[in-house]
Amino acid sequence: MKRFLWFILPIAVLIALWEFISRSHFINPALFPPPSQIALALLEMITSGTLFSDSRDSLWRLIAGVFLGSAVGVVCGLLTGRMKSFATALTPIIQILRPLPPVAIIPLVIVGFGIDDGAKIFSIAFAVFFPVWINAHIGARQVPRAFLWGAKLFTNSPVKILREVVFPATLPFIVAGVRIGIAIGFVMVFVSELSGASSGLGYRISITSLAYRIDQMIAALFVLGMFGAIADQLFVFGTRKLFPWMIFSSR
Amino acid sequence: MNNILVKNLSVYYDSHCALKSIDFEASEGEFVAIVGKSGSGKTTFLHALARFVEFSGDITMPKNIGMVFQQYAVFPWLTVSENIAFGLENETKEKRAHIVSEHLTLAGLEDKKDKYPAELSGGQIQRIALARSLAHNPEGLLMDEPYGALDAHTRGKMQQWLLDIWTAHKKTIVFVTHDIEEAIFLADRVLVLNDQKFVGEYKISFARPRSESIKFSPEFNKLRQQIFESLSHTNSEPLPK
Repeated sequence: MKRFLWFILPIAVLIALWEFISRSHFINPALFPPPSQIALALLEMITSGTLFSDSRDSLWRLIAGVFLGSAVGVVCGLLTGRMKSFATALTPIIQILRPLPPVAIIPLVIVGFGIDDGAKIFSIAFAVFFPVWINAHIGARQVPRAFLWGAKLFTNSPVKILREVVFPATLPFIVAGVRIGIAIGFVMVFVSELSGASSGLGYRISITSLAYRIDQMIAALFVLGMFGAIADQLFVFGTRKLFPWMIFSSR
Repeated sequence: MNNILVKNLSVYYDSHCALKSIDFEASEGEFVAIVGKSGSGKTTFLHALARFVEFSGDITMPKNIGMVFQQYAVFPWLTVSENIAFGLENETKEKRAHIVSEHLTLAGLEDKKDKYPAELSGGQIQRIALARSLAHNPEGLLMDEPYGALDAHTRGKMQQWLLDIWTAHKKTIVFVTHDIEEAIFLADRVLVLNDQKFVGEYKISFARPRSESIKFSPEFNKLRQQIFESLSHTNSEPLPK
């Protein structure tokens, strides 16, 4: 109960303070609407169905992009981390692409993929790939030799060792990389929907800003932020359920 | 009959010599302990026997060997029974279950079979590590300071447990330790490794089964002193004052 109070109290104080400042006209309420007005705007977006369709489209792009970027990042990271030939072949290419701001490739991606979901998903996957790859790569390089030697005494299969020893030993690094990837994915969802989109939370934030509906814009921003926090917590929860040993090992 | 035979073994890490022209042999079912100070090459010797490192010279080893490490002895992402079952995929499901059950009993961890290593004590983890190696029925076992991180009490219990298992299974064991007392208590023969080569060999003639009480006998103390002196003859740099 005490913990819940400590959790809820700062939020309640912040909302009350915000409401007070907006209503006392210290700042123009049209530019800085009070939370009660934002709540009404949110309700309006819910009842009209725009929030549902925007959230559905944004989340689909995000999940597809994060999944694709993470999957390719993990595979490449494990291979470049453990196999010299892959490291020699792939690392220079990855290192050249890595410093590119993912936002900068969006125009090129649109040229290649058009303005459909494919372009947005590719942009998100591209941005997510790098933190996942570098984490998986470093993790795979740091697998204790005793694990590998021990495994080699029991099996001759490199695939089994990669799948059942290197991958789980690298998992804490991969989880950290994917969590960073999810956060970057949310940034990329927003950015990729700013241009060439007709739905999504990024698109909604953009058009409500142009239409001067600051209440709806903040409501959409709030929903995006909330999805970000929930996605991270869901990922951590899922990881703990799927890999319970990580909880014990981190104690 | 020799189970392990090593001739003229040298190991270099770049230009650093870790082992120099070593000869070694262990007969079938023999328990050999190797003592030495840190950096003397004990662990490198085991790694060469297991062919984990590059070496020059001849090594004849049994085809099927097991190894127990001091650190990272078991996989933390697998439960106790999954650790023991690792690498037994070629066995039938029933046979695998039987082997796992048998070795859980051997380790005395039947009630911990679904626990993860992080939930267990250091001694229990080392028991899983040994049980996992024995599950593959190796002809030879290499043990690299397996009890180095345990407290004195647990260490004593683990030594007794290891002797019981060795008496029952009679595997050839090469046991590396920096603890002279442990080496004398466990082994048939103690070799002293110093400055990258063996400098002493001691036959241990205490009757088996052995009990902790032999550690207080004059003969045990005499052996301990001899091995300690053998260890002390070194060309290494003195510690700064």
